[in-house]
Amino acid sequence: MRVANKAIYDSVKYNLGSISEELNKANEIATTGKRINTLSDDPVGLTQSLNIRSALSSIDQMGRNISYGNSWLTASESALTNVQNIISDTKALCVQMASGTTGADQRASAAETVQNMLEEIVSLANTDVAGNYIFSGSKTDTIPFEQNGTYHGDNDPFTIKISKNSTVEVGSDGQAMFGNIFSTLSNLKTALENNDVSGIQNAMDNLDGHFDDISAKISDVGSKMNRMEIKDKIYQDLNFSNTERLSKIEDADIAEAIMNVSAAELTYQAALASSSKVMKLTLVDYLE
Amino acid sequence: MSGIGMVLNIATTALNAQQYGMGVTAQNIANVNTEGYSRQNPVLVAKQPLMYGGLLLGRGVDTEQVTRSSDQFIENKLMQEKSNMSSSSEMEKYMQVLEGFFNEDSGTSISTMLSDFWNGWYDISNNPSGPSERTSLYEQSVLLSEQFNALRTDLTQIDTDLTGAVTSGIETINKITHEIAQVNGQIVSMEANNVANDLRDKRNTLVSELNEYLDVQAFEQSDGSLTVVAARGCTLVHGNSDYELEMGGTNGDRVRWQNSSGSYVDITNYLTNGKLGGWLDMRDEIIAKNKLDLDALAKEFIWSVNQQHSQGVGLEGFNSVTGSFVVSDAGEELGTIDSGLDFYDKVADGAFKLWVYDSTGAVVGGSATSITIDADAGGTTLTDLRDDISTTDANITASITTDGKLKIDTINGYTFAFSDDTSNVLAALGVNTFFTGSSAGSMGVNDIIGLNKNNIAAAQVYNNVGPAVAAGGNSSTGTIITDGPYTGTADATYEIQISAVGPVGTAEFRWRKDGGAWSAATATTGTSQLIENGVSVTFVPGTYILNDTFSIEATENASFYGNFASGNNNNALDITDLQSTSMSISQWTCDRINGNIEGSVNSNIEDYYHSMVGTIGIVSASVSRDRSFGEMMVNELSTIRDSISAVSLDEEMTNLIKFQHAYAAAAKLIGISDEMLTTLLELK
Repeated sequence: MRVANKAIYDSVKYNLGSISEELNKANEIATTGKRINTLSDDPVGLTQSLNIRSALSSIDQMGRNISYGNSWLTASESALTNVQNIISDTKALCVQMASGTTGADQRASAAETVQNMLEEIVSLANTDVAGNYIFSGSKTDTIPFEQNGTYHGDNDPFTIKISKNSTVEVGSDGQAMFGNIFSTLSNLKTALENNDVSGIQNAMDNLDGHFDDISAKISDVGSKMNRMEIKDKIYQDLNFSNTERLSKIEDADIAEAIMNVSAAELTYQAALASSSKVMKLTLVDYLE
Repeated sequence: MSGIGMVLNIATTALNAQQYGMGVTAQNIANVNTEGYSRQNPVLVAKQPLMYGGLLLGRGVDTEQVTRSSDQFIENKLMQEKSNMSSSSEMEKYMQVLEGFFNEDSGTSISTMLSDFWNGWYDISNNPSGPSERTSLYEQSVLLSEQFNALRTDLTQIDTDLTGAVTSGIETINKITHEIAQVNGQIVSMEANNVANDLRDKRNTLVSELNEYLDVQAFEQSDGSLTVVAARGCTLVHGNSDYELEMGGTNGDRVRWQNSSGSYVDITNYLTNGKLGGWLDMRDEIIAKNKLDLDALAKEFIWSVNQQHSQGVGLEGFNSVTGSFVVSDAGEELGTIDSGLDFYDKVADGAFKLWVYDSTGAVVGGSATSITIDADAGGTTLTDLRDDISTTDANITASITTDGKLKIDTINGYTFAFSDDTSNVLAALGVNTFFTGSSAGSMGVNDIIGLNKNNIAAAQVYNNVGPAVAAGGNSSTGTIITDGPYTGTADATYEIQISAVGPVGTAEFRWRKDGGAWSAATATTGTSQLIENGVSVTFVPGTYILNDTFSIEATENASFYGNFASGNNNNALDITDLQSTSMSISQWTCDRINGNIEGSVNSNIEDYYHSMVGTIGIVSASVSRDRSFGEMMVNELSTIRDSISAVSLDEEMTNLIKFQHAYAAAAKLIGISDEMLTTLLELK
């Protein structure tokens, strides 16, 4: 085929243009470390990476929800364990006070102790996490119990979400949790004051029931914490695998990227060298 | 004598011819870099011989014509490809701009902001009374709205830029067609005796330039003039006349051609190639689709959040609230387009509960008021709704503002809240909603939230009587509104069964509690009918079908009825559900010939946006591929064209030597003839 001068220049221009475009692309990947630098680089991969990013953001949020819920459950567990100890102390006191050898004076002074224990349980039932009362149902800004045991919360326990479609009650309806304990203790106190042995024995029976109830509640809280821990572990795994997937989609294989740059560079140099030679050739130089 | 004279004559023609050849070579060399130039060749022919001395003897050489090396087929093909390439190369430029708008690496990525928005609701659900969580959600939502606004503005800006490009493109086109017409005239007058090589090259170049702007057909007439025709047979050049294109139409954004009878032909949708084709494809297909899709996404997002938000209550009741959506005619039914509501089509038959609290916080009248909405023709108008609300209690008044919004006010320290809206009317009127607007451009955060973050409705009013849930397979067109409070001592499920078919008044129903014995049948009245323990039902107009059942869940604890506690996060949790809820969102197909067609996909908000971004990437990649393919085609065809038409200096140098030597030889002839003559004259 006839080769015109213009054809030589045009083809040099076109080829150098395409090769430098390639070099530029290879360089962009190597310097940013990313395979996808604009939407059109890999639209399918990009859509996947957006979905993964949004999933990662949700996983992060669920992690925060769980750690927030855990702070409530930990506070619950510790309050309930203390209440349980007080109940068992009270039970021991009752055993002692119910004995025939105990006098009315001793019982009257024990009434003081029971009053202190009652106050201690009220204060435990008023436990808060960062200003939110955990045994107040959803009225988390209201102190749930007065000293006399009157309840001001509601029956709608505070709930958090630990996944798209599962929730966990981390707060409690204080009335259901402690209401009867308060009446038992205040009855016990009255019985002690009145030197009423059968009243004391009655309280002992109730305290056994409360002890079991609180134990059940503690194990309930424990199982919720366990559930959250498992969920948290799953989220950590998901976080790890999603991050890895994201990196596979978005990140460039650096070794490959550098190789591509070198290859493109080599091609570019070769093209420059041969172009400069070809462009110089003309018959004019050989004519006198 | 005449023999030597003949040699001299022949030598002279040779000198002339070689000199002419030299001239053509010089012209070729001079135009080695001229775009569109076709190299020229002198065609030398031997002159007609004469009888001389009984024999035929040649009379020398003649330059018959100068031809140009050109292949019109290749030229046309090249023009076509250039036209294709300029279309995709213009689109590529604009696609890069578009990609930039949707760039996910920037700090203003909508997908990150959407995630942050949902996470903001989670944070509120973790700490519903926390002021910092509320403020942070508000700020995130404002940013998100602004980003939607900005993106929409950017798209409109590209749109405007493209129309500007088309306008200036048309000016260039008119200039080119004018020039072609002029060249046509010159060619016709010049070609009476010769071929006007350079003018034809010039005309070819002009047509090629024209092709870069729009696709045209060019035909050569027998007189050598070129007729140029654009899309839909619109003649741009005929002979030495040219016909201009112009911008027109209602918005001044249509390309039009005026025909001989003076009426305009709109050719906008038929310009498929060239820069104009690229710009118009970009404007009327790609940008148009993205604008519509972005609006559809924003609309569904605004609606779904508002719809759920309007079911809830903030940390305190309202003293006063004004809707954000305008009703253009308060006398028209809210569920019809005539009401002028942006979301009129979402209004359904149903009801909402209005809770009014006195200054001590007690529920006025002991229970909520159910306000029913009939969405059909002849149903509830804004005026009706205003009156229904105002009759609830003397301390609460509804009014319609001068700009057509519903306004509710209280006096004497009374407050109010809403719940259980099955009619969607609150969200449609923008009462107790989160966002304002109904498109990407108009989206914003409701002022009631901006002014008081406590109005973010994270809670729901405690209503211990659930809605009447229709059993699957029900075909009744009427709905049942429930009222409480339920005063029973344990949770219960009530079932309502239709025992006689018909409209309200004719239909009868019976009920039972927790699967017990059925009650006796009672006629429906259309007003509130007490069942037991405070649970009452209202049958809304419609037809009730025999044996259809509805169930109502009732919860004990009437003492919390009407409460909304600061730690109540029920509504916030319901809003976080929306993140993964699949909804039907419009998706547009924009085609210049078939118009904009609305379809829909089922997707959640984030996935829709992600696939929108992905689609832009796919389109952009394919446009880039087209451009690079076009470039390659142009390059290939140019090489072929150049191999035929362009100048090779080596060839011209060879020709130069060829002509030079021939010239020298002819001169030698003259010298020898001179010597011969001298010899003859010197004879004695």
